[in-house]
Amino acid sequence: MKIRDGQFVFHESLNAAFLEELFEGDTIYAETVFEDFLRDLPAYWEKVQASYQNKNMSLLGTNIHTCKTLFGYVGFTDLQELCQEFENKCGLNTAEALQTDFGVLTRKKQEAQKIIENEYNRLKKYNEG
Amino acid sequence: MKTTCIIVEDIQIAADFLKKFCEKSGLVDVKGHFLNVHDALAFLDQYKPDLIFLDVEMPGANGFQLLDSLTYSPKIILTTSKTDYAFDAFQYHVDDYLKKPFTYKRFLEAVQKIQDQPIPIPGPAAAPAATTQPSIDMDFLFIKADDKLIRLKKDDILFMESMRDYVKFVTPGKTYITYSTLKSMEEKLAGPAFIKVHRSYIINISKIDDIRGNTIYVQGNAIPVGKGHKEELAARLNIL
Repeated sequence: MKIRDGQFVFHESLNAAFLEELFEGDTIYAETVFEDFLRDLPAYWEKVQASYQNKNMSLLGTNIHTCKTLFGYVGFTDLQELCQEFENKCGLNTAEALQTDFGVLTRKKQEAQKIIENEYNRLKKYNEG
Repeated sequence: MKTTCIIVEDIQIAADFLKKFCEKSGLVDVKGHFLNVHDALAFLDQYKPDLIFLDVEMPGANGFQLLDSLTYSPKIILTTSKTDYAFDAFQYHVDDYLKKPFTYKRFLEAVQKIQDQPIPIPGPAAAPAATTQPSIDMDFLFIKADDKLIRLKKDDILFMESMRDYVKFVTPGKTYITYSTLKSMEEKLAGPAFIKVHRSYIINISKIDDIRGNTIYVQGNAIPVGKGHKEELAARLNIL
C-alpha cells in the first residue's frame, strides 16, 4: 500500500466513502482497477448495444447486469442503482418502451467513462508522484 | 491449514478482488478461477476444494445449476450484485452471500464464519454425535433431538434435509432436527433403501409418490433432483 501525506480525493460523482473502504487507501490497486474498468467496459457495452438493437430483452438485462457490477467497483453506486432499475424493467418491457431509459443510461455511461478516464490519469500521476 | 477454494466468476475485476482478498487473509488458498460453470465442473470432477466462491449470473449455466451438479458438499459463498437470490440461496443452504462489490472486511467475516463451523469429516467415528452407533443391519437408528435420544425406524423416514450443521428428518407424523451432517447420514444409511438426490436431500426410495421433471414428490413434499445425482437415481429406480 502506498502511504502519502496528501490523501487522494476521488471525484465528487463517485462514492468516496465506499471506495476508501474498498481500497483501504491502496491507490496503486485503485489505479489497476480503474485501468481494468476502462479496458473491460467498452466490450461489455458493445454487447449491451447489440442486445438492445436485436431487441433481445433477456440478454439485454444480463449484459446490463455485468456493466452494473463494473460500475460498482469504481464507485458509481448511483449508476449501479440505475442499471438495476433498468435490468428489472428489461423483463417487463419491449425495447421500444425502454427507448428513453436506454438513452439516459447510455448518456450516463459515457459520462461515467469520461470521469473514470480522468480519475485513472489522476491516480497514475498521484502514484508516480 | 488453509481452506482451499475455487472462484467461479465471469467478471475479471470481481475475480481479481477475490484473489487479492484471499491472499491478503492468509486463510484461503485459491486453486483456480473459472469464467463459467462448465469449466468449473470439469475441475470439480477431479478436485474437491473446501470452498467455492460462486457468482450466480454467468453466460451459459448459472451458479445454482452448478450447485445442482455437485457430487459433494463444499462450503459455498455466493457472490452476486443482485439481492433477489436471497431466497434461492437459503433454499440451497449456501453458507454466505456477498453482494458485489464487497469490502475486505465483509469478505473476512464470511470466511471466518465458515472456518468457525465444524468441518464435516467422513467416517462414523469422526461424525458429530447424532446417532448411537447403529448397526447397518438394524432397522432403526437413534437420533438426538429435543434433549433425548429418539428411536427412529428407518422405514418411517420419508427424507432427510441438510440444514447446514443440522439434519432434518421428516417422517409422516413428525419432523426431527438433529446436530449432524447429511454426509454422515449418507454413510450410516448406506444401502438400497436411501439415495442422495441433491446436495441437501437424501430420500427413502420406497416413499416416492411420483417424479415430475427434476422434482420428486414424497407425501406432498417437493424435493429437487440435482443434475449430478440424476444418473444414479435413474439406475436405482425400477423404471419399466
